[in-house]
Amino acid sequence: MKRALYVLLGLAVAAALWEGYKVVGNPEGTVLFGVRILPRADDLSMPHLWTVLERLGRPELTGGRPVWIVVAQACLFTLGITAAGFVIGALVGLLLAVAMERFRVVERGLLPYVILSQTVPLVALAPLVAGWGGTIMPPWAVVSVIAAYLAFFPVAVGMLRGLQSPSASGVELMRSYAAGWWRTLVKLRFPSALPYLFPALRLAGAAAVVGAVVGEISTGTRGGVGRLIIEYSREATSDPAKVYTAMLGAALLGLVVAGLVSLLELPLMRHRRHVEVATL
Amino acid sequence: MTAVVVSSVTKIFNQGRTDEVAALSDVDLEVRDGEFVSLIGPSGCGKSTLLRLIADLIEPSTGTVTVAGQGAAKARKEQAYGIAFQQAGLFEWRTVLRNVELPLELRGLSKRERKARAEQMLALVGLEDFAGHYPAQLSGGMQQRVAIARALAVQPPLLLMDEPFGALDEMTRERLQSELLGICAKTNTSTVFVTHSISEAVFLSDRVVVMSARPGRITASIEIDLPSRDDAGRQSPAYFDKITEVRQALRGTPASAPSPRSSESAAAGTDAR
Repeated sequence: MKRALYVLLGLAVAAALWEGYKVVGNPEGTVLFGVRILPRADDLSMPHLWTVLERLGRPELTGGRPVWIVVAQACLFTLGITAAGFVIGALVGLLLAVAMERFRVVERGLLPYVILSQTVPLVALAPLVAGWGGTIMPPWAVVSVIAAYLAFFPVAVGMLRGLQSPSASGVELMRSYAAGWWRTLVKLRFPSALPYLFPALRLAGAAAVVGAVVGEISTGTRGGVGRLIIEYSREATSDPAKVYTAMLGAALLGLVVAGLVSLLELPLMRHRRHVEVATL
Repeated sequence: MTAVVVSSVTKIFNQGRTDEVAALSDVDLEVRDGEFVSLIGPSGCGKSTLLRLIADLIEPSTGTVTVAGQGAAKARKEQAYGIAFQQAGLFEWRTVLRNVELPLELRGLSKRERKARAEQMLALVGLEDFAGHYPAQLSGGMQQRVAIARALAVQPPLLLMDEPFGALDEMTRERLQSELLGICAKTNTSTVFVTHSISEAVFLSDRVVVMSARPGRITASIEIDLPSRDDAGRQSPAYFDKITEVRQALRGTPASAPSPRSSESAAAGTDAR
């Protein structure tokens, strides 16, 4: 209840800032020494919020379906791609982390490349991967691969850290029980890694959304919200509110993914909830 | 059968490198069945190393370690001992009961057997009402008791303890000492107990093994025979005499028969840590 109130309050503040700037801001933007330091506040660059909301209700094209349905459908399509990318990325990240924990050599040899992988610009990579679409996998799967490429990284790094987190005495204890590598992994390392895994998964969720949206744009995949943003932004001069409806959809998509990921956490982190200490 | 036999064991860490350390040099130790032996000595004397060798957490450079008549590695694989460290080291995501069940799980006991045995062990350390709690909800002393229950869960013939009460306050420590003695008597467990508290070693042990540092070796082995192991025992002259004897052995002065005078001075400073 209280949390819902804070969420509403946050929305209200954001809306007030947007509309407030439109009231006081220079419609041509504030330019200082030839550099624009504040954006234009005219209706073309920053349409009123109610214009955007009202645009959601009107048809996309004359006689077509309302925009909100189109955006929602595109978001669902992208959500599917994101989910596939997230699952692939998380699995790959987990496997890499386990391999790196198991073999020092792998950690030394692989970790630099794991980090390097994220410095390669996505837009440079996407066209390469795009060629796979339609030959070895359907076009949407290519976008999932791009999403997975971004999502695996936080999981691999966070999970490695988590798997290495148990204390020496915990590891010695497992050794004293004659538990081998696998049972130590299952009984000690995995559970210890959970507090590291969940923040990593949340990052991976966000990265998968970005990967899916950017992947759709750079591979030219139709049907998703990324494509919609590109299409609508071409009409930005005549219909500025329209592109904002698509961006609103993308933002909501991110929130939904973040929410779904944090739902994973609830059943597994029960022991973290109560902290009252009994003394005897 | 003898519980533990350590014969001519030497342990050198980082052998052949510049940071080579001789942790133990030519150590012989025997622990009889049902005997309570304390290892005491200054930091770096290798007492924890010796314990880890018995537990087969590390391997000796030379010499052999035998636990319950078999090699230390085989004994570890058969869970022939239970171990407890200075940090309770409980798994925070498991309830108290499930922590005690852990060694039983790894032994492949059925769910019902595990639960029954773990509950029995918790009753032994007086924590049966806290089975469903998580470790973070317990005080340090309670956590240590859970760790002891966990070490005893497989009902091992041998209990290895590395300063298990080191992080506790004096009151809790004394209560747990009495509890531990009761448990060992009830279960007839042999115990090797590492400590750097003289009073703790004397109160608990049948024998105190004194070690010295650089290189780690055994310098004295003092049999303790107190009239009783309770509060009266803590006040008895025999207790203070033995404290003096252990202290002298630690200082390296020859352990002569203690004079009444020296036992008085020991009484003045019982907290001989």
